Amino acid sequence: MTEREVLIEASNLHYVYPDGTLALRAIDLQIRTGEFIAFVGQNGSGKTTLAKCLTALFKPSLGTVTIEGLNTSMRGVTKNIALKVGYVFQNPDHQIFNDTVRKEIAYGPKNIGLPEKEVAERVEEAAAVAGIGEHLYTTHPFFLPKGLRQRVAIASILAMRPHTIFVDEPTTGQDNLQSLEVMNFLKELWEEGHTIVIITHEMPIVAMYAERVIVMGVGQILLDGSTRDIFSQPEILAQTYVKPPQITRFAQELSSYGIPRDVLSVPEMLEAFMRARPKGMAINS
Amino acid sequence: MAPIIVLNNLFWQYEGQEDFALREICLKIEESSFTSIIGPNEAGKTTLVSCIRGLIPRSYHGILRGSIEVLGKNIADKTELELAKEIGFVFADPEAQFTAMTVLEELAFGMENIGFSLNEIKERLEWVTEMTNIQDLLDKSPFEISGGQKQRITIASMLALKPKIFILDEPTSMLDPLGKDQIINILTTLKEQEAMTLIVVEHNIEQIAPLSDQIVLMADGKVLKSDSPQDFFCDIEPLERLGIAVPHITSFASNLLDLGLYEPPLPLTIEQAIGPCRLILEQRGRE
Repeated sequence: MTEREVLIEASNLHYVYPDGTLALRAIDLQIRTGEFIAFVGQNGSGKTTLAKCLTALFKPSLGTVTIEGLNTSMRGVTKNIALKVGYVFQNPDHQIFNDTVRKEIAYGPKNIGLPEKEVAERVEEAAAVAGIGEHLYTTHPFFLPKGLRQRVAIASILAMRPHTIFVDEPTTGQDNLQSLEVMNFLKELWEEGHTIVIITHEMPIVAMYAERVIVMGVGQILLDGSTRDIFSQPEILAQTYVKPPQITRFAQELSSYGIPRDVLSVPEMLEAFMRARPKGMAINS
Repeated sequence: MAPIIVLNNLFWQYEGQEDFALREICLKIEESSFTSIIGPNEAGKTTLVSCIRGLIPRSYHGILRGSIEVLGKNIADKTELELAKEIGFVFADPEAQFTAMTVLEELAFGMENIGFSLNEIKERLEWVTEMTNIQDLLDKSPFEISGGQKQRITIASMLALKPKIFILDEPTSMLDPLGKDQIINILTTLKEQEAMTLIVVEHNIEQIAPLSDQIVLMADGKVLKSDSPQDFFCDIEPLERLGIAVPHITSFASNLLDLGLYEPPLPLTIEQAIGPCRLILEQRGRE
């Protein structure tokens, strides 16, 4: 496969909070077009800070971040960057501030000075993609259930038509069906060509959706690789209190029987188990 | 053993709402048992535990039908002090509960309110700080510590009252994996060492099922199923259709069981599954 184009690049990125906390240390990272990435690691490991630096919400204290060639530390690039990356906050209520769904989604396109007609088109497009019916346009976002408020937050980002979308903890506080619904929606966006980055603690979700995992610990990248590779290294993951999905851990317990250590789902485990079963295959007894 | 909680044909409708939030609820909870309540959001789980705690109908307006008996007495006939002593309650959002300047004061507040002696307060403080592992946090403000630490403090402040019944409403939903594990560890210790009746509302079925004596599934204001974990998961397909995240290991073994390779009971943990699966792989199982 040919190397895909680099969209976002961090080089020797450091970030220090105003209170002096060193939150990120010497991060080197490239995000390429069409990737579906998960940032994982315990709270305080730097996942959200990194995402905010990669979306230009924070500027590096040292080192550089470039987004599609634009250095985020330069003056006057913010408006252009807003068209390239979007960041959906963990709590949609930290982001939503308009009194109708329509105004909320229209805010970004209006803010960059698009003409009324184009704003209206973008609102319709973004709302449709996010599954928000027209009957909700005049509703106050805070009267919507959490799942829908999150969709409004995502739609308001989509209205900017960014190439890359970061979503911070898309499934927190949602039940299993709601989680799958929001994740399937992100997957659709990914299949349409968006680059998706999620921050999450839910390893079964990572196993189901992400193709690359970046594991953070104390402000550094501990591991960066394909989802299968990452979950095959439980010892390093344990440093940042990340546990592979239960079925993966189970497969690893049975690896001496020839079951792969990178099983990601129950159907995969069943297949591997049945393959390992015939006589003569057992190594330990 | 007699049940400690009996809900008999319970209906509840919040004032101003068209539908009943709870319908036809019949449920018994045994003394000293561990009950998990699971189900989708809006199923009525929080409403149900609010009824058991007596918050409904005391603090909410609406229509209540049927009866709620706790420790052999209809809760309508209990005083708030009785309920506060008998039943501890922890919310998903720990900050909703904080009132004091330091963790130590927070812990002492409830006990002082109930009127315990100074010695009694000291003894209980020692017990809960050890149980919840918060020795290093006592001088801090409850607002300057992490979410997981906050949740342990809320649990400690309720445990200090040594309630007979302890209800936790999604205690891990706002926490990271380490925070979740620490809460699950406290629940495990409580189950092993104390005679408390524990009722936990949770989405985290993988971690909560192995602790449970009874799992209650709610949807649309009704109890759809209530069973021991082994019986609860014996037919997985309808659960998955409802969007219930059945533990991977249980789902895997259930597939093997359908193929005639696994013998009940179904496992709820990796440890429970490993032995039988090794046997199958070593061909010393059923062949």
